[in-house]
Amino acid sequence: MKPAWGGCVLLLGKGCLRTLASAVVLALFFAPNMPGQNTSQSDDVKPIPIFQGSAGFITNFDAGDAHLDPIATPVVLVPVGERWLFETRANFETDMVQLPGRGGFHGQVEKQVDYAQIDFIANKYVTVSVGRFLTPFGIYNERLYPVWIRNLQSDPLTLPIGIGPSNASTGVMVRSGFKARPQFDINYTVYFSTLITTTPVDSDRFAGGRAGIFVPKARLEVGGSFQHLLQQERSNLFGFHAVWQPMVMPLDIRWEYARSKRGSGYWLEPAYKLSQLPFLQNEMRRTQLVARYQQFFTGQLGSDALPPVNTKQFESGVNYYFTDGLKFTTNYGRQFSSIGNKNVWTLGLTYRFVVPMGPDGGRR
Amino acid sequence: MKRNSLLFFCLAVMAFLVGTAIAQDHAKSDASSKASPATPLLAANSNPIDDSASPQRTRQTRRNRQAVHTTKSEQSERVEGEQRFRENCGRCHQPPHKFPPRVMAAAIRHMRVRAMLTDEDMRLILKYMTQ
Repeated sequence: MKPAWGGCVLLLGKGCLRTLASAVVLALFFAPNMPGQNTSQSDDVKPIPIFQGSAGFITNFDAGDAHLDPIATPVVLVPVGERWLFETRANFETDMVQLPGRGGFHGQVEKQVDYAQIDFIANKYVTVSVGRFLTPFGIYNERLYPVWIRNLQSDPLTLPIGIGPSNASTGVMVRSGFKARPQFDINYTVYFSTLITTTPVDSDRFAGGRAGIFVPKARLEVGGSFQHLLQQERSNLFGFHAVWQPMVMPLDIRWEYARSKRGSGYWLEPAYKLSQLPFLQNEMRRTQLVARYQQFFTGQLGSDALPPVNTKQFESGVNYYFTDGLKFTTNYGRQFSSIGNKNVWTLGLTYRFVVPMGPDGGRR
Repeated sequence: MKRNSLLFFCLAVMAFLVGTAIAQDHAKSDASSKASPATPLLAANSNPIDDSASPQRTRQTRRNRQAVHTTKSEQSERVEGEQRFRENCGRCHQPPHKFPPRVMAAAIRHMRVRAMLTDEDMRLILKYMTQ
C-alpha cells in the first residue's frame, strides 16, 4: 500500500469507507440516468468565471451593548469544460465593540474560507463534490445563510446543530435533484466528512444525508436530514425542514427542526411582501414584513455554540429592497431564558454583487 | 416525552401538507385534462393541408409554419422558464435582474449544485434569464 493511501485509510477508517461506498452506491441507484449522458446546461452558452458575493454593515444591540458587524463574503466560481465547477467562498467579518476605558469601537477581522469545492456533474441528475463544503443539514446553513438572502440577520438558535464546528465539512458529497413524478421533484444529498483540527477550517468526522420532496404547483418543499457522528459520543442527529409559498399571496413560510444530544429546537419564519396593498404600490412591493419564533431545548451534553439553558426568542422586522441586490433591514426581538431576558435589535444594509471575469457575451 | 410529542406533531403536519399538495395537484391536472380535448381539434382545424397548392407555396407555407411553431415553442419555454425560476429560485431569494448569458451560465451551474436544480430546470431558467 502506498504511504499516502495508507494514511488516508487510517484517517477515514474501514467503517467510514464503507459508509462512503454505500453513499455513492445509493446515489447512483437513485439516479435514473447513468454516466455518458450529455448535460444540456446551456445549449450554446459557455460559462465564464465570475466573482460575486455579498457585503453588509449590520449593527446589533444585544441587551443594550452595541456591536458593529461589517461583513463581506466574496464568492469565486470557475467553470471548467462542460462538467466541472470550482467554487469557493471566503468570509471576512468583524465584531466591533466598545471597550472600557477606550474610545470608539474595536475588533479583529475574522477570516475564514467557508467552502472550497470542486463539483463534477456526473450526469443529468448527479453531481459529486469534493473538498470543503457547507454541511447540508437542514436548509439554513446551505441555502439561507448569506446576508443578502436571509430575512432576519440573526442566526437561528439551532443553527450550530449538525453543521460541524466551522459550518462546513471536509470530504465528499453526492447530490441530485430529479423529477420523480409529474407532480413532484425529489432531491437528496449524501456526504462524508473527515476530521480536521486546524482552525478555522476545522471539521468533524461524520456521515449523513438530506432528502426532500418539492411539489412545484403547491410550491411546497418538505424534507429531512440525518447525520451520524463518527467521533466523540457517536450519536445520531436528525432534523426536518419545510418551505411553503402559497400561490394566493406573496408569503414565504420557512420552518426547521433539529435534534441532537447537545440540544434540540425549531424555528418558524413567515415573511410577507406588501405588494398586494392597493396604495403606494412602488414602495409596498419593495417592503417585506418578517417574523421568527424559535425555541431551543438543552440536551444531555453541553455545547459552546448552543445556548446553555432552554431559550425562547421572538423577532419581527421589516426589509426594504431598494433594488434586488440592495436591502435595508431592521428587526426587534426579545429572548426569554432562565439566565435573563434581553432585547435584541438589528439595523443593517446588505448588498449583493456579480462581476464577470471575462467577456460576458453581452445581452441577447 | 413533550419533545417526542412535538416531533410526532411536526411529522404529522408535514405529511398532511404533502398529502394536501399532491391532492390539489391531482385535482388541477384532472381539470386541465378535461378542458384540453378542444385544443387538438382547434389545432387540426386551424391548419388544414391544401394538396392543390403549388410546390413553392407549399414550401413557403411549411417554412412559415415552422417559424411560427419555433416562436411559439420558444415563448412557451420562456414562460416555463419563468415559472421554474419562481418555483425554484424564489424559494430562497428575491429575483435578481437578468445577467449576460455567459455570466448566468456560470451562476446557474453554481445553483444546480447549491439548490439541486434538475437538468431541465437549469436549461429553462437559463433560457428565461438570458432572453
